[in-house]
Amino acid sequence: MRFLWTIPWFAIRNLLREPRRSAMALAAVTFGIVALMLASGFIEWIYYDLRESTIHSKLGHLTIARPGYLEAGRADPFAYLLPADTAALQRVRSTPHVREVAPRLYFSGLVSHGETTVSFVGEGVQPSLETDLSRAVLIEQGASLRDDDPKGVLFGAGLAQSLGVRVGDTVVLLANTPSGGVNAVELVVRGLFTTVSKAYDDSALRVPIAIAQTLLRVQGAHAWIVLLDDTSNTDEVAKVLRQELPHDRFEVTTWYAQADFYRKTVSLFSKQVGVVRLIIAAIIVLSISNTLTMAVLERTGEIGTSMALGVPRRRILAQFMAEGTALGLLGGVIGLVLGFLLALAVSAIGIPMPPPPGMAHGYIGQVKVTPDLAASAFVLATVTAIVASVYPAWRASRLAIVDALRHNR
Amino acid sequence: MTGEPARAGRPTRAPDADPRLAVSVQGVSKEYALGEERVVALANVSLNVDRGVFLALAGPSGSGKSTLLNMIGCIDTPTRGRIVINGRDVSGRTPDELAALRARTIGFVFQTFNLFPVLTAYENVEYPLQHLPEIGRRERRERVLHFLDVVGLADYARHRPNQLSGGQRQRVAIARALVAHPQLVLADEPTANLDHRTGRNILRLMRRINRATKVTFIFSTHDPQVIRMADRRVDLEDGEIVRLGVRARKEWSYAFERAAEPPAFADGETQPGR
Ligand SMILES: Nc1ncnc2c1ncn2[C@@H]1O[C@H](COP(=O)(O)OP(=O)(O)OP(=O)(O)O)[C@@H](O)[C@H]1O
Ligand SMILES: [Mg+2]
Repeated sequence: MRFLWTIPWFAIRNLLREPRRSAMALAAVTFGIVALMLASGFIEWIYYDLRESTIHSKLGHLTIARPGYLEAGRADPFAYLLPADTAALQRVRSTPHVREVAPRLYFSGLVSHGETTVSFVGEGVQPSLETDLSRAVLIEQGASLRDDDPKGVLFGAGLAQSLGVRVGDTVVLLANTPSGGVNAVELVVRGLFTTVSKAYDDSALRVPIAIAQTLLRVQGAHAWIVLLDDTSNTDEVAKVLRQELPHDRFEVTTWYAQADFYRKTVSLFSKQVGVVRLIIAAIIVLSISNTLTMAVLERTGEIGTSMALGVPRRRILAQFMAEGTALGLLGGVIGLVLGFLLALAVSAIGIPMPPPPGMAHGYIGQVKVTPDLAASAFVLATVTAIVASVYPAWRASRLAIVDALRHNR
Repeated sequence: MTGEPARAGRPTRAPDADPRLAVSVQGVSKEYALGEERVVALANVSLNVDRGVFLALAGPSGSGKSTLLNMIGCIDTPTRGRIVINGRDVSGRTPDELAALRARTIGFVFQTFNLFPVLTAYENVEYPLQHLPEIGRRERRERVLHFLDVVGLADYARHRPNQLSGGQRQRVAIARALVAHPQLVLADEPTANLDHRTGRNILRLMRRINRATKVTFIFSTHDPQVIRMADRRVDLEDGEIVRLGVRARKEWSYAFERAAEPPAFADGETQPGR
């Protein structure tokens, strides 16, 4: 045990004996890490972009609603209205990390323009609170809603197209009231928007919440959409709010619990990253075990000498394992640095991507290397390198001394 | 000299604990399977080696010198028979136990020197001590410097093997073989890769150390010049001992010499060979 420190030193000197071969193995590990960092960094960026777009177009970070609204509210929306303003709302607003709390009133109905009538899903929003919350709702034409413009409506681009309306046109919205009657308002199209979800753009429109309340003849909202300073605080704030708000009246739901598309995308891409990992692990295993097998073959005579001199088998094992580990660690460090630099460079240039299915726009991809991701790439490379050295090292430690010594001739 | 010269390589079965014996080889055979055939490398060899002797194993190529040295060095195991080192029977021990035994009691000098090319002369000599936790840092250093000095290489401590001549390498190897204070040093053809002069110098160095430290040396060689420097000799032929010699002054006297027909021993116990 006392001389364990000599193992790495000896390992490094042995690696330097065959600089070319060691460099090759190192390059394989480095390449593995870099490839993994770039591939998963790109996917991480896709997650990030999709996540933030989802949050900033519809869901916010948290949705506060009446218990059961998200599951059952569609059938009977009027049964789940939140009060117009309460101490609870104040409490949410003053919770740490909360940037904005915006009320939303959801409704559906028919919208007509001229001869055409189509169904829509509508959201009543308070325009002044939506600037940041809805920053992923991109205004394609016209302008956004304003608090001082009670008669404006924003159309999803697809919905506008199927109805044949343009900015400035007048439309009529029809909706059911709680009493079972039908009410109508006349509004002017102020702008057309797109989001990450084409399905949403094909059916959605947004109006100031006051108009929605008038149309439906109700007070209050279905949900308070909470925007946080950072997505990573979602769970923490959700926990706080769940403790603070009475359970029987409020239900706090996170964005990811509702973001089905996001979750499916993540699980699909995660599988792909898993395959990439596997391939990279295989590359590392092959190159490290090849390097060590060569080293064992070449140094068979030396192994015999060591054993004759009384070095126990486990020490021989440790020696070769140390060489694999050193390659893994060193390649890992170089790979990390190189990976970070390349990720920065690629992100600066940008990766132009075509529009994915279901989305309206192409986008400029980036590579987002998070500390977690870098750590897992590093761990993968080093652990794989260590695992790959087990077998050759074990073989070395099991050589018959007399046979091994013969290799010195 | 022990005053009982016939012990040199007396082919008997001595009790394990005879304190005068460094090595006792008792009815050892080694056979290799080569396909269908069996190669007999050693055939029922018995040999006692007194402590402190400087013993040469002689014999033509293929006679079993290396095989016998490997058995004595506990780096190979006999097919039959027992090896007793320092009064301890080494049969049936695990590889780790044998490694520990070698590390503490046996030094090796090889024909091809077998230094570690990545290590300096100093580190090569130090190497065996790195596996002996009972030897502290200071003592380690003192021993390494001492033995480098003994072999006359104090000034070459920082040299790598490839910066040393063959003779110098073998000196480093001798220092390495001695550094753990073994009771026995085994050298399989230590001079075969050296020119005659250097080889003789190496042998002289070994003999000087043998005289000074009473460490038992067993070496094999083809070289009659080198055999002449030993004080005991064991001649092998076809895996059998054919002659045992003790040198007094310049003359060999043979305790046993096999005739064309093996002599009929009354006591089968004392018969060499089969
Ligand atoms: N691993 C092995 N497999 C098969 N036969 C072997 C093996 N090792 C040694 N032998 C045989 O055993 C016999 C003795 O070999 P050994 O190496 O001990 O001879 P030696 O006296 O050392 O010869 P040399 O002077 O050439 O070194 C030879 O016939 C050899 O062919
Ligand atoms: Mg030999």
